[in-house]
Amino acid sequence: MTASRPTPALRLRTRSVAALVITSTIGVLAFAWPLLVRPTSALVERSDGPWLFAVVLGLLVVVLLAELAEGGIDAKAVALLGVLTAVATAMRPLSGGVTGFQPLFVVLVLAGRVFGPGFGFLLGGTSLFASAMLTGGVGPWLPFQMLAAAWVGLLAGLLPPARGWPEVGLLAGYGAVASLAFGFLMNLWFWPTLTATGTAISYVAGAPLATNLHHLLTFTVATSLGFDLPRAIGTAVLILFVGRPSLAALRRTAVRAQFAPTVAWTPST
Amino acid sequence: MSARKTSAPWASAYRAALVVGGGALVIHLVIEALFGAPVPGTVLVTLPTVALPQTFAGVRVGGAVTAEAMLGATYLGLQFAAIVASLGAANALASPARLLKSVPGAVYELGVAVVVALTVVPEALAQLQQVRRARRLRGREDRGLRGIAASLGPVLHSALERSLGQAAAMDSRGYGRQRVVSTGDRRLTATLVLTGLLGVLLGIYALLDAALAPGLALSVVAVGTGVALVGFTRAGRRVTRTVYRPDPWRLPEWLVAGSGLFAGVAVMLLGATGTVALDPTTSPLSWPPLPVAAVLVVLVAALPAWVAPMPPGVEVGHRRRASAAAASTARAATTPVHHGAPGPSEVAA
Amino acid sequence: MIRFDHVTITYPNAAAPALRDVDLHIPEGELCLVVGRTGAGKSTLLRAVNGLVPHFTGGHVSGSVTVAGRDTRTHPPRDLADVVGVVQQDPRQGFVTDTVEDELAFGMESLGLPPDTMRRRIEETLDLLGLADLRDRPLRTLSGGQRQRVAIGSVLTTHPQVLVLDEPTSALDPGAAEDVLAALHRLVHDLGLTVVVAEHRLERVIHLADRVVQVDRDGRVVDGDPATLMMTAPVAPPVVELGRFAGWSPLPLSVRQARRAAGPLRQRLADLHPADHAPSAPVDAIVTATHPVVVQGLDVAYGPHSVLERLDLLVAPGEVVAVMGRNGSGKTSLLHAMVGLVPVAGGRVRIHGVDPSSVSARDLPRHVGLVPQDADDLLWAESAAQECSDADRDAQASAGTALAQFDRLAPGGDHNRHPRDLSQGQRLALALAVVLAGNPPVVLLDEPTRGLDYPAKRRLVAELRRRAAHGSAVVVATHDVELVAELAHRTVVLADGEVVADGATATVIAASPQYAPQVAKVLSPQPWLTVTEVTTALAGVG
Repeated sequence: MTASRPTPALRLRTRSVAALVITSTIGVLAFAWPLLVRPTSALVERSDGPWLFAVVLGLLVVVLLAELAEGGIDAKAVALLGVLTAVATAMRPLSGGVTGFQPLFVVLVLAGRVFGPGFGFLLGGTSLFASAMLTGGVGPWLPFQMLAAAWVGLLAGLLPPARGWPEVGLLAGYGAVASLAFGFLMNLWFWPTLTATGTAISYVAGAPLATNLHHLLTFTVATSLGFDLPRAIGTAVLILFVGRPSLAALRRTAVRAQFAPTVAWTPST
Repeated sequence: MSARKTSAPWASAYRAALVVGGGALVIHLVIEALFGAPVPGTVLVTLPTVALPQTFAGVRVGGAVTAEAMLGATYLGLQFAAIVASLGAANALASPARLLKSVPGAVYELGVAVVVALTVVPEALAQLQQVRRARRLRGREDRGLRGIAASLGPVLHSALERSLGQAAAMDSRGYGRQRVVSTGDRRLTATLVLTGLLGVLLGIYALLDAALAPGLALSVVAVGTGVALVGFTRAGRRVTRTVYRPDPWRLPEWLVAGSGLFAGVAVMLLGATGTVALDPTTSPLSWPPLPVAAVLVVLVAALPAWVAPMPPGVEVGHRRRASAAAASTARAATTPVHHGAPGPSEVAA
Repeated sequence: MIRFDHVTITYPNAAAPALRDVDLHIPEGELCLVVGRTGAGKSTLLRAVNGLVPHFTGGHVSGSVTVAGRDTRTHPPRDLADVVGVVQQDPRQGFVTDTVEDELAFGMESLGLPPDTMRRRIEETLDLLGLADLRDRPLRTLSGGQRQRVAIGSVLTTHPQVLVLDEPTSALDPGAAEDVLAALHRLVHDLGLTVVVAEHRLERVIHLADRVVQVDRDGRVVDGDPATLMMTAPVAPPVVELGRFAGWSPLPLSVRQARRAAGPLRQRLADLHPADHAPSAPVDAIVTATHPVVVQGLDVAYGPHSVLERLDLLVAPGEVVAVMGRNGSGKTSLLHAMVGLVPVAGGRVRIHGVDPSSVSARDLPRHVGLVPQDADDLLWAESAAQECSDADRDAQASAGTALAQFDRLAPGGDHNRHPRDLSQGQRLALALAVVLAGNPPVVLLDEPTRGLDYPAKRRLVAELRRRAAHGSAVVVATHDVELVAELAHRTVVLADGEVVADGATATVIAASPQYAPQVAKVLSPQPWLTVTEVTTALAGVG
């Protein structure tokens, strides 16, 4: 096994990277707008800020995915994408109830590591989408979930090189952090919809950053830390368990798939 | 909604969405009850007060629960629940396979990936069962989670092998043919998309920062999105596939889409011009007024219940049930039929 | 139509070429059969026809492959899709959609045909292959034969001129295989398609072939007229072997041709009897408490659907019993009930007096061993050697038992290869070695000969006979009639969950048109089942 990475399943061109960066920035704004908005902004008075972002982000996520697929994804990458999406989706019901593993992230982290950041990004999007379709979980949160999961896959592909147990440890740590971050982001999304009559943990439009952050953290601790923390730990544990054999299997496939096949022709004599 | 349900697994999404919406409403109420700031009003019940330690300074859990606060939370919760329910209804009525057939060209490959995924999922689950049973044959029986975890290896291997075989088959059947697009064309598409995205970014930033008037900022966002979508459509031209039995888009489909759109726009306009109070006040405590105009508009949105065409499986099922079919045809009738007519139908929440 | 011109193909990182200096011309409208040992390069040859090798797999190709005037050097597989249709061994791997009609349409969609053309062609294909009443069925619910026909239909809709099939009938029962082969026959004779088929079970196809291409171990290829090639081929169906032995000329390829020439042979055999290879213990011995396999009044149901009804089966020590029947007749369920994998709704199953479902998993390998239909379900280690050592540990056997067994069944197999990289025969050998590590007195096999070539089958037969001679009871569920003729003392035929026939192999299968081996059909009404029986009997006469 060579130390260098095998050919990534999806090549990222400059234009795709540019689109990725811009859309990710939009995504960050879409998530974090409650913390960044000025008191004089129009969003403060209306209560439908989240829905605007949901629609716009939904459309833009689709545009971005199309941009990444620009130039065509070849059959091997598509088949692998489909099959890994299936594996990730099939895992979702196994997430052991509310406190438990997040096996979908395990697949995402490992596949992103082996097949590259572009593939990981797409896999995050498709697996959240497919599992939402199958479990009837389509809702205004879907574009946000898709984008967040896609980020998880993307960053998994950008982790520093390592092999053996250090690699598994790195991936397990990343998996735990990613799981927590995902939970935090989804909380951040839900939080502004609580613009109720000034509860102490709700979003106060236009208040200084520190105040809102404070409220947000309290909200997080109160509502979902009990779920997120065990889930993050569970994810890390699962990666530690199945990491090495899964990475080996995925790498074997990457080699056999020959994403950029070495074809040599010799003319007939 | 119930008039158009099929018996597919995602059809129960509507019920699930109602549950989620209801759950969100409850969460709103609970949070309001526990964490509500003390506001004068009609007190319903007084919960015991717990003062949290200094790190959460200023937060008092419990205290008086006022009806006004509850009402405010109810309105917000209902808003959230309504949106969730309508999306759930759309999900329940739309068969993924048919939706994926109509996927726009630029994301065709991803659509194929999702279709493959939906096909492979039941196979993977079945194989998981098979492998778990096979473990017993070799003298190992790890129960529960350990058993599942240990069985994942062979399932993963089979899935990966399958993907290569699948790719070979797809290649052999002509998947991946593309129309040759000139470099200039591709550059234009890229420019459109990137410009559009940048536009949206600036528009949103302006909206958040109140740098521009909100109407202007919103229109920047809208224009940016539009440009990006134009680029998206152009990018789809490289895909040369056709669709077998495309879903027709005729009068019923126009009526359904139109009624939904009309309802949405009308409510927004009514709210903006102040004819109807969309955010009713909570003090003094009173029933929210029922605006006649808004009700009429919402009834228009209920039009699809009569106008929308039946999904094929349901229609066939009715006919065959009526004609006392034999056992095999009855079995065929309960399998949803994924081709033919109508597009997505929007239903009033 | 298909022309290979001095073609040598070497895979990346491979030591030796997979195909060496192949010169081949297959004219239009021929049915060409590709034969050879597993791993010899048949798949490479087939994949080279539509360009999968090297565009998909990578590799070094010298020479040129031309199909219908198009050179695969400049045409990747997707550009040949309207000329060549490829059907893989496992059609499920090739399915992209989930209903029959959508699957038939996928190829045409990818080619960008207008919807009207698509409609027309789908109706034609449904009629051609007899799939009209299956059009709305989900692919998951189809039987093996139906799946194979849908796979063929899905590549036919693009109106190719060449059809390439890799072992289309290996997983099918005789009836379904007949259907598929009849469809192929029709395609060649009515539509003028050129068909290239790779197949191990030569007895099913050899009489249909216009040309045989034989791929040798070192990658060289010999092609020619079937009768000529079969005179000297290392692998041959029973009819051909009989013909070679009896010196018939021209060499018969089908039962019909053989019967015409068989008169003198039948006369020579008129007063002889096949050697009696009945087991040491009589079949209808008194049922003792420790009879190896006792099944009485067995009922198995999956939900409301009854799979087995009041089934009785007894197996004596040292006896080999074959269980035959259509797909879905309950063979697999019977075997699963014998190892306690399915809940028993009524009746009882006893393995040496013990109920298998009550045995703990740890002890099961020493009571009864089952090699399931999909041998890959049993293999999960990183290398063959590790698989064997794990099996030794699980079965509490001495180290090296399983590995020795593996070497016996698959000599020359690489111990350090990943199980998934092994050939079909080697995988079966590994699965069998793993299961037999505990030396169970009852051995069960579910469809073991799928994808096995003749030499691997012979080794399997020898191993199972050895086990039976040492007193094990062996039960094999299979479609392979020739295997049953070689191996089984007794045959049980199941239909719809009930036993339809149960008796000595010679009696049960010789009479049935569906299940009779070729030798029996040729020499009927005499009770000969295999070529070995004939040769031993005549050798005994001197």
